Amino acid sequence: MSITDASNAGPPLSVRLRSQLGGYGFLLPWLLGFVVLTLGPAVSSFYLSLTDFGLMGPANWVGAENYVRIASDDPRFWTAMRVTFTFVLLSVPLKLMFALAIAVALNKGLRGLTVFRAIFYLPSLVGGSVAIAVLWRQVFAGDGVLNQVLAALFGYEGPSWISNPSTSLYTLVLLAAWQFGSSMIIFLAGLRQIPQDMYEAASIDGASRSRQFFKITLPLLTPVIFFNAVILTIDAFKAFTSAFVVSDGSGGPIDTTLFYTLYLYQEAFTNFRFGYASALAWVLVVIIAIFTALSFMSAKYWVHYDD
Amino acid sequence: MTDTVYASNVVEAAAMPEGAKSSPLKRALVYALLTAVSFIMLYPLLWMVSSSFKPENEIFATTSLIPQEFTLDAYRRGWNGLSVSFGYMFLNSLLISVLVVIGNLISCSMAAYAFTRLQFKGRGFWFALMLGTLMMPQHAVLIPQYLMFLKFGWVNTIMPLVVPKFFAIDAFFIFLMVQFFRGIPRELDEAAIMDGAGPLRIFLKVILPLSTPVLATAAVFSFIWTWDDFFAPLIYLNDIEKYTAQLGLRTFVDATAQSDWGALLAMSTLTVLPIFILFLLFQRLLIEGIATTGMKR
Repeated sequence: MSITDASNAGPPLSVRLRSQLGGYGFLLPWLLGFVVLTLGPAVSSFYLSLTDFGLMGPANWVGAENYVRIASDDPRFWTAMRVTFTFVLLSVPLKLMFALAIAVALNKGLRGLTVFRAIFYLPSLVGGSVAIAVLWRQVFAGDGVLNQVLAALFGYEGPSWISNPSTSLYTLVLLAAWQFGSSMIIFLAGLRQIPQDMYEAASIDGASRSRQFFKITLPLLTPVIFFNAVILTIDAFKAFTSAFVVSDGSGGPIDTTLFYTLYLYQEAFTNFRFGYASALAWVLVVIIAIFTALSFMSAKYWVHYDD
Repeated sequence: MTDTVYASNVVEAAAMPEGAKSSPLKRALVYALLTAVSFIMLYPLLWMVSSSFKPENEIFATTSLIPQEFTLDAYRRGWNGLSVSFGYMFLNSLLISVLVVIGNLISCSMAAYAFTRLQFKGRGFWFALMLGTLMMPQHAVLIPQYLMFLKFGWVNTIMPLVVPKFFAIDAFFIFLMVQFFRGIPRELDEAAIMDGAGPLRIFLKVILPLSTPVLATAAVFSFIWTWDDFFAPLIYLNDIEKYTAQLGLRTFVDATAQSDWGALLAMSTLTVLPIFILFLLFQRLLIEGIATTGMKR
C-alpha cells in the first residue's frame, strides 16, 4: 500500500532520516505502553498461571496444576462455562436478527429515518452502564414494571424474574439483545453499499421482494454479518457489569448468572487467588481465540466476497 | 465495507429507490411496526426518568409515564444518600473521563500519525502487533497490571485509570484515526516538506487541523466509555471519597437495600444524563464512527 511508494519520489536524505527518527519518536508512547502494559503483563500472567501465587507468601511453581484443576476439579468453572456459552449463543443471534431486521426496515427510504435510528441506537450507548443494570433489576423484579404491565394487560401475576434461577439469565440475555443498535448501524451502512441496479435488474426479471432479499441482500451482506458476529461474540464473552450489578457480585441466584468474567473477578479480587485466576484468564483467551479462528475458518463456506 | 472513507456519507444517503415502489399500506404498516418497537425499546428508559420525579408511593401504583405529582424529593434523598455526596462522585468521574480523553487524543493520534505518515523500519511489524492487541481480551493482562500498580502505590488512586491512556493503550482509537489519516491527501504533507517542515510541524499544522471530526469522535467515545466504565474503578478504587458515579450507584443499591427505588432511579437517571446529552449533541459523529470502523457499541 502506501508504505513504500512515498520514498520512490526520493526525498532528500535528511528528510528520510528525520522521518525514521520521527517515526519512533511519535510511536514511543504506544511502544512503551505496549511493552510495559501489554506484553510484559501478558508474559507474567502466563507465568503466574503456573504458580500458586496468592496473598499467602511467595509464588510457588506448580506447573500445569491450575489448569488440571480447572478442567477436572472445579464445578464452578463448568457452571461459569455453561452460563457464558448460553449467554453468548442466545444473545449474539438475537442481536444479529433484531439488528438486521430493523436495518432492512429502515433502509426502505422512510421519512424519519434519523429519528428511528437514534431511538434504536440509544440503548446500545447507555446499556453497559450500572444505571441500566439497576433499571433492569427493577423492571424484572417481583413488583417490577414487567409484572405491573402483565397484570394490567392480562391479569397475570408474574414471578420475580431476576431472583428466579430458571429465568435470571434470560433477563440478562434480553438486556444484551436490547442493545442491538450499534450492529444495526453497521448493517445500515452495509445495505447502502449494495448497488441499486441489482435490484432493478432483478425486478425486471420478475423476482419477488423476498426472493430479492434472499438472493441479493443477504448474500451481499454476509461480510457485514460475519464481522458483526465476530465482534458481538467477543464482546459477549467479556460481559460483566450487568451480571455483577444484577446479582450483587455473586453470580446468583445459585450461580445462574455466573458469567466467566465474574467468576474470574471473584477468584482474583475476592479470594485473591492470583495464580489460579491467571490460569482462568488464559483459558478465556484461548476460548475466544478458538471461537474467532473457527469463525474465520467457517467464513469461506458462507461469506460472500467479491473481488 | 468497513474501510470506506470516513467522512463520506455512508449513513446519510438519500431515500433508497428500493422502497419507492412499496404500496402506501405497506409503508404505513412498517411505520406502525417501527413505532411500536421504538416505544417498547424506550419504555424502560422513559419509566426510569418519569419514576424519578414521582413520590415513592406512586412509582408502583401506576404504569403511567406521567407523574401525577411532580417532585424532586427522590433527587434530594439520592444526592445525599451515601456518606459522601454524589456530587463528589460525579466530579471524580468527570476528572477521570476528561484526563482519559486528553491522554487518548494525544497518544493515539501520535501513534496513528507514525503508522500512516512516517517511514521507519519495523513499521509494518508494529502495526500488525497493534491490530493484534485490538482482539486481545484485557483479562490476560489484568492481574499483573494490578500487581504492578499495587507496587507503584497507585491502587486507590485514579492513576491506574488514567496513566495507561497516555500510552495509547486503547488501540481502537489508533485504528479509528489511522482510517481517517489515510484519507488526508499526501500532497499536503509533500507541500509542507517542500517548505522545509519536519514531521512534528506536519503533524501539528497539517494533519491535526484537518482531523477535527475524528478527534471529536474519539473524544466523545472516550468520554462515554470512561464515564460508563465499571470494572476498572471497581478494582482500583476502594475509598468511597474516590468513587466514580458508577461505583457510587452500585454501592447505593446495597445501601438502600432496594427500599428507596425513587432515589435509586433518580441517581440512575443522573448518571445517564451526561451520556444522553453527548448523544444529542454528537449523534452524527457517533453513528459515523461506528459505521466506518464497525466496532464497539
